[in-house]
Amino acid sequence: MNIVAYSEDPEYIKVASSYFSNEKIVAVSTSDTKYADELHLIDKMDEEAIAKYLASLKPDLLITGSTKRDKVIGAYAAGLLKYPILPDVIDISGNKAKRVVYSGMGIAELEFNTPIVVSISKKNVEAKERQTQKKNVNLEEGKVKKIEVKQKGGEGVDLSSAQIIVSVGRGIGSKENIKFADELARAIGGALGGSRPITADLGWLPEDRQIGLSGLKVKPKVYFALGISGQPQHLAGIKDTKIIVAVNTDKNAPIVENADYIVVGDVIKFCQEMVKKVGKK
Amino acid sequence: MNVVALFKIVPDDTLIKVTGSTLDLNVPAKISTYDKSAIEEAIRIKEKHGGKAIGVTAGNTDRKAIREALAMGLDEVIAIDMKEQDIYSTASMIADQLKQLNPDLVIGSEATTDSSGGIFPAYLAGLLGLPLISYVKSITIEGKKIRAERNLISSTEIVESELPLVISVVGEINTPRIPTVKQILESSKKPVKSVNANVKPLVKLASVSPYVIQRKKIIIDGSKMEEAVDKLLSYLRQEGVIS
Ligand SMILES: Cc1cc2nc3c(=O)[nH]c(=O)nc-3n(C[C@H](O)[C@H](O)[C@H](O)COP(=O)(O)OP(=O)(O)OC[C@H]3O[C@@H](n4cnc5c(N)ncnc54)[C@H](O)[C@@H]3O)c2cc1C
Repeated sequence: MNIVAYSEDPEYIKVASSYFSNEKIVAVSTSDTKYADELHLIDKMDEEAIAKYLASLKPDLLITGSTKRDKVIGAYAAGLLKYPILPDVIDISGNKAKRVVYSGMGIAELEFNTPIVVSISKKNVEAKERQTQKKNVNLEEGKVKKIEVKQKGGEGVDLSSAQIIVSVGRGIGSKENIKFADELARAIGGALGGSRPITADLGWLPEDRQIGLSGLKVKPKVYFALGISGQPQHLAGIKDTKIIVAVNTDKNAPIVENADYIVVGDVIKFCQEMVKKVGKK
Repeated sequence: MNVVALFKIVPDDTLIKVTGSTLDLNVPAKISTYDKSAIEEAIRIKEKHGGKAIGVTAGNTDRKAIREALAMGLDEVIAIDMKEQDIYSTASMIADQLKQLNPDLVIGSEATTDSSGGIFPAYLAGLLGLPLISYVKSITIEGKKIRAERNLISSTEIVESELPLVISVVGEINTPRIPTVKQILESSKKPVKSVNANVKPLVKLASVSPYVIQRKKIIIDGSKMEEAVDKLLSYLRQEGVIS
């Protein structure tokens, strides 16, 4: 079987390698990896061009990572090849794959045959290093031209490994009010995150703090959902949390069914009272 | 300028419940949340540049949801009835229709709330051999040129390309309009073309099981916040998650 693995993030190549430890793997990436038998190091991040290159390798199985760009590239290649495709696969065994569906509420089991394109989720795996033969590949340019790229300066907060997370939703009320949640986060040694409206839409917090289906998946010991209604897309990011605390004025909000402790009340008062108590200690 | 908006009719994600070991999908249908942003953007482009805005949907062809899309301002909807579908079969059916329409721009959204894969517009672009701009937060069109701002979370990109092409929009690109009663009434006169699917899926769905984590659901009355916080802190210390 001709297996090709593509990702801009070498962690995914390692996961692909762990699923197919006895098969030859050809990796295509902008970064180095030790988990492939062959590595085609490409010279540019041009989605259409990468997809065309991947399709030209005529893989039986094309595995990609699940970064936003990885998935787009894999899907474009699948379209070019007229192959079926399975995105965001969390497990593969034989010709069965599992993926999360319905915005995080369900897990589907699917049966597939090769040829196919599969994008895989990240997980911690053991994989053996391989003797990697490397070659450089110069890609043609696609039809979409980059005019400007603006890096958004992240503050280097690592939410995916944080043990305590204080997360705010639209119920916080205003950008100014974020400071109350921030004070609470500082008082208990937690990191500050938020729902999609707070980050991507309103910009009250940087976008790399977004937690949920289309943001980060987190797994802290305790997660404070402050003024977050608990829509499935938000819950999708906090499933692996040990204890979820919700603060909400609405005792019928969906988060109530999905939290361990629910304080029915105002989020600002909650933050102020918490800071007083924890600060005093 | 002819624009196509892709939208999917899905079980309302806010109403789906878990009963025992099954996910109860027998809930009212709706237009998938961000697909409404794709429809809205298509209508805005038509309003600005003239031409037609046509909707294409495949899968569940719920009439009420289609009427809503028409009431928002689409001129026509092509409804492809598919009982079983995967990305390959859906894209193949939609591509057939698009080849006849020959649109300048095809707009989809970043992800639907059912399959949630977030790859459909990219797949379709590959199948049609058209360029793709994904995760679009804003667009401007001048003549045959399109300029778009893409949101990739850690970076923003401004890109340019030529029409025709496929784009996928993020939910933040606009606020979808809510049709007036008059628009809803008038929408019944707009054409809906029904198409039967003749492409079989290649991926077989074996089962769907709920993915929910059981939680303790202990409610603390917060009307006296000081007491509530004391109570919560003692619980959290018992749990050993806070010192
Ligand atoms: C494809 C797709 C992907 C998505 N991805 C994500 C994602 O990754 N992350 C994400 O978060 N969302 C995501 N969403 C959006 C999601 O569906 C919800 O819209 C969003 O999570 C709601 O955010 P919220 O809870 O902050 O706001 P709301 O739903 O508006 O909830 C606000 C809550 O605050 C409460 N409240 C109001 N005032 C107070 C007060 N004074 N004190 C206490 N509580 C108060 C209200 O009762 C309410 O429950 C996605 C949606 C789609 C369609």
